[in-house]
Amino acid sequence: MNAILNISESDSVPCTETVLRTKDLTVKFDGFAAVNKVNISVARGELRVIIGANGAGKSTLLDLLCGKTLPTEGEVWLRDRNITGIGEAAIARSGVGRKFQTPSVFKEMTVLENLQVASNRRTGVFANLFSWRSPRPTDVEAEVASRTGLSDVLGRRASELSHGQLQWLELAMVLSQDPKIILLDEPAAGMTAAETDKTAQLLLDLAGSHTVLVIEHDMAFVKRICRKITVMHQGAVLAEGTASEIERNQAVVEAYLGSATLSHA
Amino acid sequence: MKERTITLAAYFLFFAVVFALPFALNSFWTNRIAVYLVYAICAVGISLSWGYAGILSLGQGLFFGIGAYMISMSLTLAMPDNNPVPQFMLLNMEPNAPRDLCCATPGSFLWQPFQYLSIGVLAGILVPCVIAAVLGYVMFKRRTSGVYVSIITLALALIGQMLIINNQPLTGGFNGLADLAPLSVGGIEFDPYGKSVYYLVAAALLVVVLLSRLIVSTRMGHVLKAVREDDARVRYLGYNVENYKLFIYCFSAAIAGIAGLLFAVTSEFASPSLMSTSFSISMVIWAALGGRSSLLGACIGALIVNFIGSVASENVMLQPVWPIVLGLMFVLVVLVMPEGIAGIAKGWIAKLRQPRSLKEVVQ
Repeated sequence: MNAILNISESDSVPCTETVLRTKDLTVKFDGFAAVNKVNISVARGELRVIIGANGAGKSTLLDLLCGKTLPTEGEVWLRDRNITGIGEAAIARSGVGRKFQTPSVFKEMTVLENLQVASNRRTGVFANLFSWRSPRPTDVEAEVASRTGLSDVLGRRASELSHGQLQWLELAMVLSQDPKIILLDEPAAGMTAAETDKTAQLLLDLAGSHTVLVIEHDMAFVKRICRKITVMHQGAVLAEGTASEIERNQAVVEAYLGSATLSHA
Repeated sequence: MKERTITLAAYFLFFAVVFALPFALNSFWTNRIAVYLVYAICAVGISLSWGYAGILSLGQGLFFGIGAYMISMSLTLAMPDNNPVPQFMLLNMEPNAPRDLCCATPGSFLWQPFQYLSIGVLAGILVPCVIAAVLGYVMFKRRTSGVYVSIITLALALIGQMLIINNQPLTGGFNGLADLAPLSVGGIEFDPYGKSVYYLVAAALLVVVLLSRLIVSTRMGHVLKAVREDDARVRYLGYNVENYKLFIYCFSAAIAGIAGLLFAVTSEFASPSLMSTSFSISMVIWAALGGRSSLLGACIGALIVNFIGSVASENVMLQPVWPIVLGLMFVLVVLVMPEGIAGIAKGWIAKLRQPRSLKEVVQ
């Protein structure tokens, strides 16, 4: 009986396992703290949304997490590994996948070629020098393509895609990296209502099997996808909780008084 | 026809013409075209680093010059009247210095290994590679890119030129090395004005083009294409972009070194002018005009520009304005046809194919 109990206890550990954790993460530009002593932790399978006004430090936080910007102080941990300052490529290899706000894909290459560059797990020069590119998608590539609705355009050049498709292509690329955590910077930016709906559905599908951290402006979109929200204000975490908790939070309301972001919702 | 078939046919046609040409040429033009094929090899190297990886090196002349000098040292020593000490060194020797390579002039011991031709050839390929590796490591690790790479490489070529000019007792200085024996390997003597040197160069071009083509069609070439478009994005996919740039930069330096070796064999001299800024920039113009992201286009660009240049230099009216025409051509190409001749050809092929693919859609 005891043994079974033990197993079920240790089984339950992965469910609440922390994938990403920051410790007093701070970055100062000319003395101005764009991100100030931020401590967040994201559990496995969680779909977390970070909201905040322009200049609250959301995008800078993502930059710190993926290594684009070096922190002045503090640490970033991925599971049990300190990934602070190990370089963008090493951070990506250790399992952090990032989608940028403006779709950053390789426009002169086909959709499949984009996915192939992203899904390739062997990143060394010589490993790739002695290996041919396959004209067909692998199972992983086919799966992420169908998940993002790109199966029919695999042979098309990325420059011929619509804006929404470009956003999905970059999402598909990040997914095919098989990252431990996915960082998304405004994934629905510039999308039509129908495309936004599809993106929201996609993110909900991902939740549970993937750990996702999303930055978002659009409160309607946030409410559709959200389980847990982190509010940032002036570089620091102001509040954390569910959508209704956040809306009732006095500090948040005060910080946003006169700002359109929440009243829009 | 598929695009792949057309590309293959274009390559085949080009090399068929190249290999058939000597039968229609006199010895003067055989030699001229052989030199242009050497330039074509150089243009392939530029196309690889600039067209495929976005590294615009304006100092390829340094590697080309080093290649030419390395083999020229061996070929100088192969001349009987340059043995044991090259003529130009005798003129620069201290009155009582021994007539031996070990200590004829300061640093003349550096010539000793070049008594073997194989070492001259090997050094002509490896020395450019090593210099490119050191320079590339410093540049790319510090994330130097774009115009800064161009300026640094340009400056380095100038330094190389200065070092050679200013060390006359060791290098022959401004005059370069011009008293060379013809290349002779295993009893076969290569005549710069005959078919032997021509085919040596043509074969080298073929090998370099095939090897380059092979590299760009691997996964590595694919990553390079991505690097050219957005190298920062490639980093976030887990690739150490610096290593990719470093590899292709070294490879293109080695190609320039090989071209330099063959230049010395074909033209029978090596001089500091090979490391001049204008020559390095000319190389970039060849590749740009032909189409920098097409290996074959770059080859054709080198041949066309040099052929027109040679015709122009015989015309009293055209000769003084040719450099200006060349410069204007470069500006025009960059502004109007960024993909060069190859881009235009691709456009035509696409147009020819279009009605057919429309029909396919209808069916």
